[in-house]
Amino acid sequence: MPGIDECLLEAMRLPGARGASVVDWTSGLALGTVGDSPNGDHEASAAEAAELARLAAEHKAFAPEEGADWSGGQPPVEDLIVSNRDSYHVLRFVRTTFDSSVFLHLWLGRSDGNLALARIRLGEMAERLVVG
Amino acid sequence: MTTTEARSLPGLDGSGRGPANGADGTGGSDGTDGADGAVRKGERAGVPPVSSPMLGRLAEERATGVLTRERGVLYLVEGQVVHAESPATPGLDVLLTSRGALGSEGWWEAVSQAGAERRVGRFLVDSGRLAAGALELCHLGALYDAAFFALGTGSGPARFRYGVAHWIGPVRPVTVDAVERETLRRRALLHRIWPDPGTDTAELVRTGRAVDAVLPPRQRTVLDQVDGVRTASDISLVLGRPGFHTLVDVRRLAAAGIVAARTRTAGPRTPDADGPPAVPSPASAATARGAHAARAARAVQASADPDVVLLRRLRDALEAL
Repeated sequence: MPGIDECLLEAMRLPGARGASVVDWTSGLALGTVGDSPNGDHEASAAEAAELARLAAEHKAFAPEEGADWSGGQPPVEDLIVSNRDSYHVLRFVRTTFDSSVFLHLWLGRSDGNLALARIRLGEMAERLVVG
Repeated sequence: MTTTEARSLPGLDGSGRGPANGADGTGGSDGTDGADGAVRKGERAGVPPVSSPMLGRLAEERATGVLTRERGVLYLVEGQVVHAESPATPGLDVLLTSRGALGSEGWWEAVSQAGAERRVGRFLVDSGRLAAGALELCHLGALYDAAFFALGTGSGPARFRYGVAHWIGPVRPVTVDAVERETLRRRALLHRIWPDPGTDTAELVRTGRAVDAVLPPRQRTVLDQVDGVRTASDISLVLGRPGFHTLVDVRRLAAAGIVAARTRTAGPRTPDADGPPAVPSPASAATARGAHAARAARAVQASADPDVVLLRRLRDALEAL
């Protein structure tokens, strides 16, 4: 059963991975980090990514058409993808069986990263992290 | 290093939660924590200084034991924080059992089987009751959460008992530095949302202001628990939600003028006084400055009694402009 560190190290094995973290989007706390961070400060990056995740989770515009289903207190959004000239960011919400607001954040180099693969793998990791 | 003179410190004896398992503690206490005067002074600016100089010393000497303050306890192993508890936020047991991550019988079985060896956390994972990641996420969240309250301003003096360990056992130790930084960052975050800390500890009331239909679900869940009696801590306990998360949502609700702290001096209210106060529409407050002014105005109107609390709220709101 993987813990936070194993999960993050697995994420770092994805092609193009530069850095990964587990973040609480209510407080902006980085619960675990590995590799590099976009602005050289994992804690600051976590707080900024948390703001983005919170907006996506809370705003109805990003909920599925049939309505914002927060069953179990978990957001209806699965993941967020941000791209820029040289990198991708994938933020994947982690669905837990206790009250939480956690997501995985993976930072990928654009030239050597595979966004589709990263997105699928991150989803699997998010599940294994809490289900075992 | 493990023995110091046992000094009785003001306001400590019997207050707060004692260590969960003090059987192997040496019972020494090594002094007061002089931070609070300084913390209060800094509070007005919204960025208070370091929360506990004593904690820094304990980290330096790689101490093992439990730090007890008025609003919570921090367990250290070799200078790192391994666990924290506070009456202001639900413990790991509540967080794990209230949504069914773990049955309460499963929790108690783990405590009875592995509590004596102080490895309850490990037992939960090894026996297949909980994924390692789930335990780490929940425990780490609870640790930072309880530490936020334990190291909070006005938490009074501290004492440290060497050698005391918690029965949850090692899960994911964090540095004292990280805990202090996070505590300060959280205070600043709350201050940015809404500068009045009144709603953090008071009984909460609805102001009567119309609730936006698109209130985020987690805020809505908190609002549903506001009944004029419960505090933010009570609500956290009912929802099985980390205390700081509730504080964030309550401050957002306070900033929106939907929830306010019950004024203690008001006494029993007449039915008339309970009616919705006349509040101007915030729609005109286009700029951030305007929005703050509107909040300040609402802070005045949310309460019928102009008293010290109200004046302080107004001052805080104006200072935040």
